[in-house]
Amino acid sequence: MPLLEIKNLSVSIPTPDGDVHAVRAVSLDIERGEIHGVIGESGCGKTMTGMAALGLVPKGARIQADRFHFDGEDLRENAVRLRGRRIGLISQDPAAALNPVLSIASQMDDVIRAHRDMPRRARRAEAAGLLAATGLPDPERVLRSYPHQLSGGMQQRVVIAQALATGADFLIADEPTTALDVSVGAQVLALLRKLVAERGLTVLMITHDMDVIAEACDRATVLYAGRSIETGPVDDVLQRPGHPYTRALLAALPDAAPHAARLSAIEGSIPAPRSTIAGCAFAPRCPQAMPVCAAEPPPERGNDGRRWLCHLPEGTR
Amino acid sequence: MSSVLSVDNLVIRYRGGLFSPRPKPAVNGASFQLAKGETLGIVGESGSGKTSLLRAILRLLPVESGAIELEGRDWLALKGDALRRARQKIGVVSQNPFLSLSPRLTIAEILAEPMLAAGGPQSPAMREKITGLLSDCGLPADFLDRRARELSGGQAQRVAIARALALEPSLLILDEPTSALDVSVQAQILNLLSDLKESRALSMVFVTHNLKVVAHISDTLLVMRRGDVIEFGRTEDVTRAPAEDYTRELLSFGRKAVAGA
Ligand SMILES: Nc1ncnc2c1ncn2[C@@H]1O[C@H](COP(=O)(O)OP(=O)(O)OP(=O)(O)O)[C@@H](O)[C@H]1O
Ligand SMILES: Nc1ncnc2c1ncn2[C@@H]1O[C@H](COP(=O)(O)OP(=O)(O)O)[C@@H](O)[C@H]1O
Ligand code: SF4
Ligand SMILES: [Mg+2]
Ligand SMILES: [Mg+2]
Repeated sequence: MPLLEIKNLSVSIPTPDGDVHAVRAVSLDIERGEIHGVIGESGCGKTMTGMAALGLVPKGARIQADRFHFDGEDLRENAVRLRGRRIGLISQDPAAALNPVLSIASQMDDVIRAHRDMPRRARRAEAAGLLAATGLPDPERVLRSYPHQLSGGMQQRVVIAQALATGADFLIADEPTTALDVSVGAQVLALLRKLVAERGLTVLMITHDMDVIAEACDRATVLYAGRSIETGPVDDVLQRPGHPYTRALLAALPDAAPHAARLSAIEGSIPAPRSTIAGCAFAPRCPQAMPVCAAEPPPERGNDGRRWLCHLPEGTR
Repeated sequence: MSSVLSVDNLVIRYRGGLFSPRPKPAVNGASFQLAKGETLGIVGESGSGKTSLLRAILRLLPVESGAIELEGRDWLALKGDALRRARQKIGVVSQNPFLSLSPRLTIAEILAEPMLAAGGPQSPAMREKITGLLSDCGLPADFLDRRARELSGGQAQRVAIARALALEPSLLILDEPTSALDVSVQAQILNLLSDLKESRALSMVFVTHNLKVVAHISDTLLVMRRGDVIEFGRTEDVTRAPAEDYTRELLSFGRKAVAGA
């Protein structure tokens, strides 16, 4: 059984101007010990999918799903209890996740005290051990520091150590490297991979950066307009994409074209989040769209671990 | 080839506090040239000195030592009005298009602003010029009366580029122009920049932390680390045989992300 099972998840947020369909139909399964990437353009519902699993959706939001389970427990009832015990959040901005006026020692201690029954000394040693596990070279110095005395990469490691301190075995990382330099971000991704290998962690990695998917993930799901339109092993999704939108995203990357050649941009923009969509949401921008595309929901293509939604017969490029 | 911009052994140092020791230079002896009609890419991690270098080139920051020549002139010697006029020769585009455009102004007003500030008279000719700028940047004329807050990120960045070109600069400086954009929109903006480079023989300095983005469009590449220029050369040479591990690391990040590569 997958650790996280999502089938046909939707999240609608009521607003004075009508419902925002932040997530329309997302399905994905995450196996224990994998890093699963969720990728798509801004506004396509990546963050809201993660927030739903954390029980952090805006007030009044409606969550519906055929299945929305973590380790067999229904997230619609248990998300809040699971958060901070088994499910942890690593967000884009580590500075905002830390309290600026408390030392790292006291922030680590708060977390450990809340989750483990340990004497003070042992907690301090545990804190230092967790910081060391995230690759921070001088844990004792970090413990004595305040957040502003640490670089962005070091702050992100502290946030990861805090998530480990809660005992979480599933991390939702929302753009964890976006605010970091490429080389520092690469180190944080390597750390997550190491923690997955050594501690059996499972990670949902939300990103808009294909390089992050390639660098860190085992499997990936592509979202478009609140729907999961393609899912599969990273090598398949990146090297042999089935869905025209995935192909278009990859073709827009600067290294997909020879030096100085024109890039193939995707014209147009994502559908408005309040609109209703009858057929394929990508139809208005798809170079291969057919009359049926805008009218009818696309069928599922592919096989077990490798699926995409498109009217084009399999094998069409 | 004549160079538009020539920087020689430039040192920039911010002042430390009253009793604190003198800080290390933010830019520690940078030298490079930019030929007319070419694009120079500057890459480096946060705090490596990229923005400081740009601010010095814009004369917004004093220089400790070294020289800057712009179109053959001693750029650091200019003062007062002469400096203000000459600065119009440089257009600037920054990272966040929304922060750099006043949300309440119409696009026409935003594009007219630099021309009016430079003493241009309000006239039908100006309106025509603005329409031309906008269409060169890939936006139809019906955008003229829309307001900045109604634009998408990519559209706002097109307007910012159009505004930077309003006074027909000989040099365009772009500080992380695509970092806040999705890859699909980033591709549109990179295409726009290559079109403008062709049609206007623009010289550009393009700063980013994403080496792969800038390697795609730049003719020469400069890599900075902790204030030092650790790499400068033709883009093909630097990407084929980087001199530093750091450059290699940036180049190989996510390598397999390209279909068929
Ligand atoms: N106003 C300032 N006063 C003092 N030091 C500064 C100031 N602005 C920048 N610095 C320092 O100068 C160095 C270079 O900073 P700069 O802003 O040029 O970096 P950058 O390469 O543009 O970084 P980023 O990628 O984060 O924009 C850093 O050590 C920075 O802390
Ligand atoms: N609190 C909210 N109220 C109303 N709409 C929201 C809210 N949060 C997000 N949305 C909308 O939901 C959609 C999906 O958002 P999000 O999950 O943040 O996308 P992503 O993380 O992929 O960029 C967007 O159209 C966004 O504007
Ligand atoms: S269903 Fe039609 S419009 Fe949608 S991606 Fe496939 S071909 Fe394109
Ligand atoms: Mg998001
Ligand atoms: Mg900067």
